[in-house]
Amino acid sequence: MIELIHILVLIGLVITAALIVWQKDLIVAAVTFAAFSFLLSIEFYILQAPDVAIAEAAVGAGVSTAIFIIAIRATHDQEVT
Amino acid sequence: MIDIFGITALLVILIAFGALVRLVIGPTVPDRVVAVDTINTLTVAVMILLGVVYQQYIFIDVAIVYALLSFISTLYVAKYIGGEL
Repeated sequence: MIELIHILVLIGLVITAALIVWQKDLIVAAVTFAAFSFLLSIEFYILQAPDVAIAEAAVGAGVSTAIFIIAIRATHDQEVT
Repeated sequence: MIDIFGITALLVILIAFGALVRLVIGPTVPDRVVAVDTINTLTVAVMILLGVVYQQYIFIDVAIVYALLSFISTLYVAKYIGGEL
């Protein structure tokens, strides 16, 4: 059962990581990065490291997304070719 | 008795995969933001259920911190889309 949860979370990690690189809209990439860090936080949690999960959730959700949004606001919204 | 909570956690993760499909194929940005917000809330539920499975109350604190920070993240993206930031 825990192994099945492991498999599902790891598949979700690969899908979101591929979507971050493939996506051309930068807001969508930042939002998908938030989802990626959430799934990574669940993975740390399942591996029974709650302190690492707290640090990952704090950095990935609270700080990183906010700083990405501030940086995108100051520059371009779409991918520049 | 513990197996019930583990099976429930597995089912909630499967439902979160439904939201992940919407994150991948969603045509507009607000669709994807709502999908991420759904994944956040389901993640809090999974963390509490797995805290019951592992029988450690320290794991509930992670879910509290997580619920607060996911709200802040969604709030930033929503203010950007709304044009207030």
